[in-house]
This record gives sequence, C-alpha cells and structure tokens, in this order.
Amino acid sequence: MPKISGSLSHKNVVCPFCSLHCDDLEINVYDNKLSVKNNIPKSCASKFEQLNLPIYREMPATIKGKPCETKKAYQYSRQLIKESKETIFLNSSVDVNITREALSAASKVNGIIDHVNSSIFLKNISIYQRRGYMATSLTEIKNKSDTIIVFSNNLFKTYPRLMEKFLATNDSFSINPKNKKIYVIGKQISNKKDCGSKDKRITYIDFNNKNISELLTSFANKKNTTSISNKIFNKLLTSIENSKYLSILWATSEFYSYKECDEIIYNISAYVVSLNKTMRAACLSLAGNDGDVSFSQTLGWMSGFPSRIKFTGNFFEYDKDSHNASQLINLGNSDLVIYLNSLSEKKLILNKKNKNIVIGRPCTKYNIEPDIFIPCGIPGVDFKGHIFRTDNVVSLPLSSLRLSHNKSLQQVLREIIK
Amino acid sequence: MSTLCLKNGRVFDPINKIFNKKKDIYIEDGKITEVSNGKISETIDCNNKIVMPGAIDLHTHIGGGKVNIARLMLQEFHNNSDNDYDLTADFVPSTLKTGLQYIKMGYTSCFEPAVLPINARQSHAEMADTPFIDKGGYALLGNDDFLLDLISRGAHQSEINDYVAFILKATQCIGIKVVNPGGINAFKFNQRALNVDENSVRYKITPRKIVRVLARAVYELGVPHPLHVHCSNLGVPGNFKSTIETIKAAEGLPVHITHIQFHSYGNNGDRNFSSASAEITEYINKIPNLTCDVGQVLFGQTATMSGDSMKQHANHSHAHPDKWLCMDIECEAGCGVVPFKYTDQSFVNALQWAIGLETFLLTEDPDKIFLTTDHPNGAPFTSYPHLIKLLMDKTFRDNLLDQMSVDISKHTILKDIKREYTLSEIATMTRSAPAKILGLKNKGSLSKDADADITVYDSSIKDIEEMFANPTHVIKDGIVVVKDGEIKKYTWGKTQVVKPEYDTAIEKKLKKYFDKYHTIALPNYKISNDEMSEVIGSDINEVECIRKRIS
Repeated sequence: MPKISGSLSHKNVVCPFCSLHCDDLEINVYDNKLSVKNNIPKSCASKFEQLNLPIYREMPATIKGKPCETKKAYQYSRQLIKESKETIFLNSSVDVNITREALSAASKVNGIIDHVNSSIFLKNISIYQRRGYMATSLTEIKNKSDTIIVFSNNLFKTYPRLMEKFLATNDSFSINPKNKKIYVIGKQISNKKDCGSKDKRITYIDFNNKNISELLTSFANKKNTTSISNKIFNKLLTSIENSKYLSILWATSEFYSYKECDEIIYNISAYVVSLNKTMRAACLSLAGNDGDVSFSQTLGWMSGFPSRIKFTGNFFEYDKDSHNASQLINLGNSDLVIYLNSLSEKKLILNKKNKNIVIGRPCTKYNIEPDIFIPCGIPGVDFKGHIFRTDNVVSLPLSSLRLSHNKSLQQVLREIIK
Repeated sequence: MSTLCLKNGRVFDPINKIFNKKKDIYIEDGKITEVSNGKISETIDCNNKIVMPGAIDLHTHIGGGKVNIARLMLQEFHNNSDNDYDLTADFVPSTLKTGLQYIKMGYTSCFEPAVLPINARQSHAEMADTPFIDKGGYALLGNDDFLLDLISRGAHQSEINDYVAFILKATQCIGIKVVNPGGINAFKFNQRALNVDENSVRYKITPRKIVRVLARAVYELGVPHPLHVHCSNLGVPGNFKSTIETIKAAEGLPVHITHIQFHSYGNNGDRNFSSASAEITEYINKIPNLTCDVGQVLFGQTATMSGDSMKQHANHSHAHPDKWLCMDIECEAGCGVVPFKYTDQSFVNALQWAIGLETFLLTEDPDKIFLTTDHPNGAPFTSYPHLIKLLMDKTFRDNLLDQMSVDISKHTILKDIKREYTLSEIATMTRSAPAKILGLKNKGSLSKDADADITVYDSSIKDIEEMFANPTHVIKDGIVVVKDGEIKKYTWGKTQVVKPEYDTAIEKKLKKYFDKYHTIALPNYKISNDEMSEVIGSDINEVECIRKRIS
C-alpha cells in the first residue's frame, strides 16, 4: 500500500453512516488516518476516527474464522455459490452502486435479493400504496415549517444531528425561526439528552406512542381523551390550528414492534391529508441508517419493486412473503446467504443452518463465525459512491478520503460471481 | 476500417430534404459516411425497407423521484405482461424495460423533462441504467425560492442568466423547464391556484414575469432548447386562455409549450368542457418561435406524474386506483403522482383524446409540433405506433371516433379534418425537428458525420401501426442492436448536456444561501463530469451554446 505523505483536508464530506447524511464535515487525512475537524457529536466523529485503528487496515479475510489469503476466500466463495441451490444476497448497509452490483450478481446466479430492514421500509412504502400521502423533505421543514411534531422515543440517538441541523435551526427564510414550535412526543427516555439542546422552542411531551391514533382523533375532534394534560394538549392543538406549515416526523422502526404500527402510520398520513383540505401540512417518515433508501430506490428503478426479488432463468419475480430473506433463513429454507455490509456497525445475525459469506467492512460484527469473511472498503471513506438521504429525494455523493486497503464491495462481488 | 452498408432503402432524411429516395447509407466508426472508405463488412438489404434516422422523444418521464414513486406505488400492475423478462407495467417500466421498449420501436434518444436540481443525481442514475438510448434532462426552475427571491428583488437579468447557467452545469442538464410558473411554490403557502397575471402571496410576482425572465435567460445563454413550459392551470376547463397568455408572456422569445393538449381546454357547453384546439393551433401556426408537444391521451390505465403538486393535489380525487402522493421538495419544487385510467366512457377523456388529435392535425408545420403522450401522463410511450396510425389514417381514426362509448361528435371537429400525416411529416416530427430544437447537430439526420442512429422499417407491412412498432433493424452508434425484434447487443448511450458560460460570482451568493438555508452544501449539489462517468455511470456529450443578446 503506497503511503501519502503530508496532510489532506477534505471539506463538505458527506457522512455515510446515518441516513441524515450530514455533508458539512471537515476531515483531515494524515498518513491515511482520519480526523474530524468540526464540532459534531462524538458519536458521529467516532464513526470515522475508529477506522484509524490498525485492525481496520490489517483485518484479513477468513475461512471459518481462520485468516486466509483473499484469493482463497474468493475461491471458496465461488465454490459455495456453485454448490448453492439458491443464494440469498442480504443487504445490510449499502449505497446505490453496491445495490446495482448486488442485483446484477443475484441475476447471474438465480438468487434472491433482500435487505435486512425491508420489513420496516415496506411499511413506509405501503402508506402510498394504500391511500393518499402528503410528504415533505428536510429543507422544506427547515425553512417553512412553523410547527413540527416529532413522534419519538429515542429518535435522536439514531439521528444525532436531526434537531440541531434540520429542526431547531436559527435560519429560515419564510418564517421567523424564533417562533418555531417543536413538539417531541413519546417516551422521554433520552430525547432531551440526545438532542443536546435546551432550546425553549422544544417541548418534550411524555406519551405512549402506541396511542398516537387516539391523539390524532383527539386533535380532529378537538377533545382530549389522551393521557396528555389538557394544558399541553390545548397548546399543541392551538399550534396545529395556527400553523402555516405543519410537519409530522416519525421513524417507522420505532413503531415496528407495536401491533398498532400499521394503524399508526396510516392514521398519521390520513390526518395530514385531511388537514390539507384547508391548510398546509406534510409528513416525513425517517428511513433507517443501513442504506435502506438507496437500496429500495435503486431496486425500484431497476426492477419496479423495492426488495425481495428472486431470479429464475430469464425471469425475476417479486413476492414480499415467499422471498422474505429473513423468513427463509429462519425457516432453514436457504443454503447460502451472502451478507453485504459496507457501512453498519450493527451485529449481523447469522444462522448456522446455512452457509454464510459476509462481505463487510472490517470489524463487521456477527453472532457466529461465518464460513467466509471478506473485508471490503467503506463507501464515503475508501471509495466514491452515491447515497440517498432519509427524505428519499436527496442523494449525495460519497467521497474517497483515503487509499483503501481493501477492494470495494462491488469489486469483491465481481470476483466471486464470475 | 470496416463499413456497414444499408443498401437500396427508401430514405427519409428531412434535414437533408430527402424524402422517399432510394439511397445507400454507409456507416463507419459509429458515424455516417457518404462513401465507403474501407471494406464493406456487412450489408443490410433494404429493398422494400424505409430508412430513417433514429427517433427522438423530447418529453418522456423516464427517470427521477416521481417516476420511481409511481413504480413502487403501482406494483400491482407489474407482473401482468406475457413472455417478457421484465414484467413491469408499460406505464411505469423499469429502466431496463424503458430502454428495451424504446430501442425496439426505433427510438435512440429520449429526454426526461422534469429534473429537480436536487434530485438530478437520481434522475441521471436512472437514465444511466436505461440501456441503448442517449438521454438528457431539463432542469426545473421557476418555483425555487432562490430564483423567485431574485426576481422579486428585481435582480438584473444577467444575474438570473448566471444562475440558470449554473443550474444547467450543476445538474448536467440540456434544458430548462418551468412547471406551473410560481404555482408549486405558492401551493406551499396554501395558494390553490395561480393565474398568469396573479401575484403569488409570498413573492408578489406573477407567472408571466417568471416565464419572461426564464425565456430570456435561456435565449441569451444560447441554450439551443427554448424554455420548456408547462403552463399554469393544468387540466382546468377554460385553461386555453392562460396558455395563450403564457405564450404571450415570452414576448416573442422562443418557447416550447409542453403537453399542450392538457392546456387546450375551453369551458363551453352544458358540461363546461370543450375543445379549444382551434384557438391554440392558430397561435402555434402564426408565432414563429413557438413549438409544442402534444401529450396525447389514449385510453387505458396509466399513472400521471408531474412536478405540478398544486394541480396534482387538486386532482387527487380522480385517482384510479384510489391512492396518490404529493410532495414538497427542498424549496425547489414538488411532485404529485396520481394513477389514472382514461376511458372512452368518460366524456372528458374522450374529448381529451380528440383535442390532442385536433392539435396535431391543425398544426400546419411538422417542425413545430412533436409526437408525445407526455409518457406516461397521457399514455405510455409504447402507444406511439398507434398514435402514428391515428395521424396517418383518417378512416381509422373516424372509425374509432364512431365506436366511442360516449358520443363526442358534436364537440369535436375531428371528422371534418381531412388531413393525413405523410411518412415525411412523421419523420420530421419524430426525428429532424426534435434534433434541431435540442441543438443535437449529430442526431436526427443521415448527414455525413452524423451519429449512426438509424431505424429501418419494413414497408411491405401494410398496417402502419405494426410497421412502426416493429422495425427490422435499429442501429445505435453504428452497431446493429435490434434485428427483427431481437436484441443483438446491449449498448449504453451518452447523456447530452449543455454548459453555457457564466460569471461564477453567482456561486458566492449561492454558497451563502446554501450555508444559511439549505440542508446540503453547495459543492455536493453540483454533479461533476467525473461523477457522471465514474459513479453515476454515464459519459456526457456537450451540446454547443452560442450566447445571444436581446437587442
């Protein structure tokens, strides 16, 4: 690996690690090591700086947990793919170009392609598959939204800069930002702490978000039947009624475990649609941090479907039940799963009933040792790329900040699918 | 050097005023040459064949956020075709199917007319994944807060020109489009309509003013394609008056009015809906710098998708199936996706069908009118051969009119129109005219050194619809990519762009605006040539701009 002497400074770096994809980072690279120069939350900066640890450079490919030459890992991967009756490509954190390559790979081996979060993002897509939907995006919210409701239990842990950079901002060109009213509604576990803001414009309201539908009905009927005090309820209702542009935000992943999940997101969107008869209001359902939007958008334009596609000979088909990778794996109906994990630090849950190949960023975590692990570079750090922001409409360029010790995930896929 | 020869074909090449003349065409290195310089490696016998340049669709929604929303929203319509690798619906095809179906019809260049600057990366990525065809996009302006603020503050035209040029360069687009000028922005401030001379509540400027400054900017920058205008009052009965006022707003500067059928409605009769094609085509025929495409409606299920969130929201109650989406986007514009089924049982839909055909047939000069369905808003592009037959065969269209479930005969002059388009006129409106108006000097013609994008049809096929649906050969950049309906080779076209010069001082102002109000940084808004080729996946071809001044 050649060394670059001297220091390189990259401005306006797009962070690939959370779906807000903040692009105001300034990162210095010296001796191929990254240091974040601006004042951003530690949890964000550490995602770059931990990549300086020697283990990120030195992590080898492994076969059954034992280090091996990368060539051998490729060779064994090709063998497993050849022996497999149906290979599943399970994306766990990807950008646009990795998704393109994964789809191409799945088509070559008659495989299935899915994403670990598809059960969640399919719920978001299903909103506009079932009824009307009024959506908005982050710059609109920043500049036009005078009243913002965020349904959140601990959303700001997942999106650390959401409040500071997009909601409680001090510059807005069509409203007086000082008069913004921001309501964070949910179990107040760590919102206040994670927001890091003592901003008086923010009101934290303790509420069980399983009961959002009841709250919305109370708004519609102007009669409080919820656990929220009448004083707070009336303040909230007045803000909504006086609003020139109301935004309601949530992350479906927070509601996913509720049996009321579908009902909640359906009712929020219906409420917002009804408000638009006389005023302006819009929704923003925040996407997951594992390249969910990039995956579903790219698959959408390449196949017409957002996930769960199976290739058979000259055809491909979508079936959200039959080609649900997690279900197939859990039921033992798969013989080989290739995990694609270029960004995420989350632990991959592998199943020992099938063979597992993990193509992942160095130090990818898993519950059991995969049959093969092949390290890959990280888009936005080691390689250029292209990734969608949480609001679905903005996509950003990912830079290559340093020389990579590993091949890109696309290059690895091309090596093992020949 | 190897040479491909198309021998003895009946050639239609309007740019060179060649109409139905037997001629050999030679191709070397992807270009057309007059005489073979080398050994002829392959000869295609074009006896009983018609040879035309590859067709160009200058207005088709093939890539970008709203197209993808429609694909995902309407999944139940996928999987319905037979014997196809890709089963997406014709009105919301995947990128692969889009490329396949266009090339099989002999179309070699297509242009996405609504690229939101903030969404340009996605639009280009989708188009990059669309095989065979060359492509390009028109960047949407005229509802973005930055421009509206400039206009409302009385900025000098040169500053607006710089901003427009910046947007073209930053988004890698070939033209500028305005949709419901100022109206999408006004909708965000809860205005539900905005007429041509009505002030928006927020910026206190009119659509007329917006059209005027943008038409002038595009003209002065020397962008070949005139300002592409989606007028105010989309689909509203009586809207022909605002369409005429929008045309007047350009004050004689070149403008292209898009999907004019949707803007040619009167409000006469007991149903308050009537054809105003006569009034509209009178303007098209008499104003020299005015061109339009039609946006023909044909019957069947489709999806309407538009940047015009104001009007799409107003029309959402017509959704079929009953679901829709509208979105406000990044202080630039918006979008609305509303699925729709046109049926000949509906008086309005049937009359829309007739209004589109009247507009085609009453426009005298095929250089001024372009064959579009505003894919997929009026119908999917796969219906072009059917539309060509409607234009070329009076008996066919009269029969269809007679068979309508509702009687619109008293409301349309269609039967009184004797005109049948000729093959020469079809070649003009689908080849040479769009190439000219887009500034594509190497396309839409069979001149020496032109790109060898060529379509060969079998003239022994009597049914004109069948003939146009099934070219025997399609050649893209000199390579035979389709033969007898089968794909012979996959190729990937280029992205056509313009990059007019501008004073980069505008970027300092933009940087301040972005730093303060936007949620991304200005450098990440711009798409570089390297990003286009290395990350997005499409090489670009720069179309020349020649600056002009209004005297």
